[in-house]
Amino acid sequence: MMAARSLFVTLAALVLALVSSLPAFAERLVSAISAEEVKISSNFTGADILVFGEIGRDAATVPRPGKYDIVVTVEGPPEQVTTWRKERVFGLWINVNSKTYANVPSFYAAHSSSPLEEVSPDNILKQERTGLDNLPIAPVGIRFTNKEEREAFREAFLRERVEDGLYAERFDAVEFLSPTLFATNVPLPANIPTGTFTVTTFLYKDGVKLSEVEQTLSVAKTGFEQLTYSLAYEQPALYGIMAVILALFTGWMAGIIFRKN
Amino acid sequence: MFMIFGMGGTVGFLSGLFGIGGGFLLTPLLIFSGIPPAVSVATVTTQIVASSASGVLAYWRQNAIDFKLAFCLLCAGVVGSALGVWLFGVLKSLGQLDLVISLSYVTFLGTIGALMLGESVKAISRRKSGAVTSARRPGQHNWVHGLPFKVRFRRSKLYVSIIPIIGIGSSIGFLGSVLGIGGGFMMVPALIYLLRVPTSIVIGTSLLQILVTMAAATILHAINTQTVDIVLALTLMIGGVIGAQFGAQVGQGMRGEHLRLLLALLVLGVGLRFAYNLVVEPEDKYSVVVEEVQKP
Repeated sequence: MMAARSLFVTLAALVLALVSSLPAFAERLVSAISAEEVKISSNFTGADILVFGEIGRDAATVPRPGKYDIVVTVEGPPEQVTTWRKERVFGLWINVNSKTYANVPSFYAAHSSSPLEEVSPDNILKQERTGLDNLPIAPVGIRFTNKEEREAFREAFLRERVEDGLYAERFDAVEFLSPTLFATNVPLPANIPTGTFTVTTFLYKDGVKLSEVEQTLSVAKTGFEQLTYSLAYEQPALYGIMAVILALFTGWMAGIIFRKN
Repeated sequence: MFMIFGMGGTVGFLSGLFGIGGGFLLTPLLIFSGIPPAVSVATVTTQIVASSASGVLAYWRQNAIDFKLAFCLLCAGVVGSALGVWLFGVLKSLGQLDLVISLSYVTFLGTIGALMLGESVKAISRRKSGAVTSARRPGQHNWVHGLPFKVRFRRSKLYVSIIPIIGIGSSIGFLGSVLGIGGGFMMVPALIYLLRVPTSIVIGTSLLQILVTMAAATILHAINTQTVDIVLALTLMIGGVIGAQFGAQVGQGMRGEHLRLLLALLVLGVGLRFAYNLVVEPEDKYSVVVEEVQKP
């Protein structure tokens, strides 16, 4: 905790230096992330990304009552997923019904300084696609199912993702170090997908969005992991042949090591 | 990682103990520990290549392989395995792969486990009562030897129809690639009882056929569904190789029919575990499958 505090102080100094060099406006939002790249090596067990920033005010800024709210979202590259539901058929539990969703984020985390419903009215959050309930998750293709059915699949999908640590909503996770200085730690799990992530910081006041800043974060496999992953998808035949050669070699070695004379 | 290494070691121990390839135990173990069935099946085919390779070399040195017979079996085996990989991909896209894997395991392990259990219990009670068992007479002919298209296999001293050989080879290649099993535990009895291949040659020959068929299955799985995990396979191989040495040592100190009884119970247990998953209401009826990563 002490280490985090001292880190915050250093960052605060950094941000202040950054802000003071900018021309004067109304509320300006300055935000940065602790790393622009996350490398997944074979011993990757997860990482933390620190998102910090400053709400810039100066003498020209009209002083307004009420408190500021910060919402930070981290969104992974989109993917297509299918949610299956098992039903009992002849006494066996079998995948029967499914819904396919296109363009859902492979990772999603929303951090806020107060519960989302206190930050802003639902329609604004929906428009900004902020929060798990406001993610645009709609099944592909028209199927004649009722609303409850759609809702059940959607809830199940969100539940699975939260359980896997891929989706998260953390209220009060954005800390204010001073009335204008904020920071939040976004944990990235070990099973994080790779690709380009978008980190968006929103500034709200009294339910109104004042400002929004976007950064990109790249998550990539590195070393042996990167090699095997890209080979598996780009050169699958070579990958398969390599797997066989590796297996033959291991078997041959074992035969030599444990050979009984 | 260490858990998987341990599983490789445990299955290696069992395979050394019972003299089996262990694919039909390793694949279920991986599935039950949470690795997707598709990845488990495809990766175990790679592991089987490694475990059969050292066996093949040992039998080759002893000149205990009928290469002509193995060649016929593995040609059929590769065709069967290509069919299996194709079906694997189709089932995966339909969302029914897990079901077919589970159902097949219940059927196969249930049947084979029950047969083995019956046989070993009989053998134990025979030994207790002291009765002398009459060995099966070699050279005895059955319906298989009446089939046409006969081919001569000098090493095995056989003159049999090619039809059952193609049948055995292709069905084991097919099952191997769909279920992630080498199929030695089905092939050896089939070669001995159906074709009357001499016992001294049967294991080396079937291992060679398994090696080539599973190598083909690995490459095809890698191309077709990208489900082979080299890191997982390597962990399993190393664990398996070490475990097998200890297993073989322990196995030498045990009676054959007792070993078979234990193996039968193990096979039945795994089969029942699959059946349990199919019949009992799952805690979570929903499952999420990622289909493709979309380019933004």
